[in-house]
Amino acid sequence: MPVAAAIGVFGVLYGAVAEPVLGGELTIASSIAMFSGAAQFTMVALLASDATAGAVVVAVVPLALRHIPLGALVQHRLAPSRVRRAVLSSLFLTDETVGLALTQQAPAARTMAITGGLAYIAWVAGTAAGVAGASIRGAEEAAAALFPVLFIGLAAVTASTWRDAVLAAGAGAAAAVLLIVAPAAGVLGALAAAIAVACLGVRR
Amino acid sequence: MSTAVIVTAVAVITVGSRIIATAVLPPPNGATAEIVRQLPAPLFAAMAALSLVGSDHRGAPVLVAAAAAVAVAGRRSLLVVVLAGFVGYVAGAAVT
Repeated sequence: MPVAAAIGVFGVLYGAVAEPVLGGELTIASSIAMFSGAAQFTMVALLASDATAGAVVVAVVPLALRHIPLGALVQHRLAPSRVRRAVLSSLFLTDETVGLALTQQAPAARTMAITGGLAYIAWVAGTAAGVAGASIRGAEEAAAALFPVLFIGLAAVTASTWRDAVLAAGAGAAAAVLLIVAPAAGVLGALAAAIAVACLGVRR
Repeated sequence: MSTAVIVTAVAVITVGSRIIATAVLPPPNGATAEIVRQLPAPLFAAMAALSLVGSDHRGAPVLVAAAAAVAVAGRRSLLVVVLAGFVGYVAGAAVT
C-alpha cells in the first residue's frame, strides 16, 4: 500500500505536468497504456521542449532495456510454461513489483498481480486527478523519500550473505559515484554498475 | 508525426520490452544465469542510488530517511527498513 500511495502521488504530478503537453485524454490514455513513470516523464519532458519523435524514441529505449534483467530475475518464478500468465505478469513488471516478488513468500505471479495492480490503479487514478487539477504539495517529497528506502530494503532482503551485502554496497556506491560524475548515465548507468558488480561476484 | 503516434510508439516500446523480457526471451543459463543469480542485491542497491542521486528531491528529510534505512538494513526485514526510513524522514523534516 505505501508503494501504491507513493506511485499515486507521482501519478498526480505526471497528470499535472503532461496535461498541457498531451491534453487531458491522451495524458490519461498514456498512463493506462504504459504504466511507466520513467518513460512517461521522459516523453513529456522531451515533447515539451519540441524534441523530434526520433529523439523521444531514442530516450525511451534505454529505459525499456532495464526490463530485460528484471524479467530474467522473475522469469523462472512465473511458471514459464504458462505463456498467458507470463504475459499478464509482464504488464506489471516494474522495479518495485519485481523486488517485492523476489522477497515475499507468496508466488511471484500473485505478488506481482496484487502489488502491480494496486500500483497501476494508483498511477492511473493519480494521473486523472492531476489532469483534473489536483495539487499534492508537501506529499511530493515524502513520496520521493519512499523509493530509495524501499530499494535499500529490497537490497537488504535479497542479500542473503555478508558477501551479497558487500556486493550491494559496492554497487550502490559505484552507481552513486557514476551518477554524480555523469548524471546523463541515468538508469542505464545504474544498471551497468549493478551488472558489473554482479559479474565481479560470480565465483570462478 | 502526431503526438498520439509518438505516445503509441513509446507505449509499444515499453509494454513490448516487458513482454519480451518475461514471456519471449529464454530463461538465462550458464554464465548468464550465474550473473542473474548475483544480480538482485546489487541491482536494488544501484536503484536506491539512482532514486537518491537522480532525483530532484534530495532534501535533508530524504537523505535522513535513506540513512536510517541503511542503518537497519542488516536486520534484513523490509518492514523494519521502511519503518526506519519513515522515522528518519519525520525526524529529518522536524529538524529542518
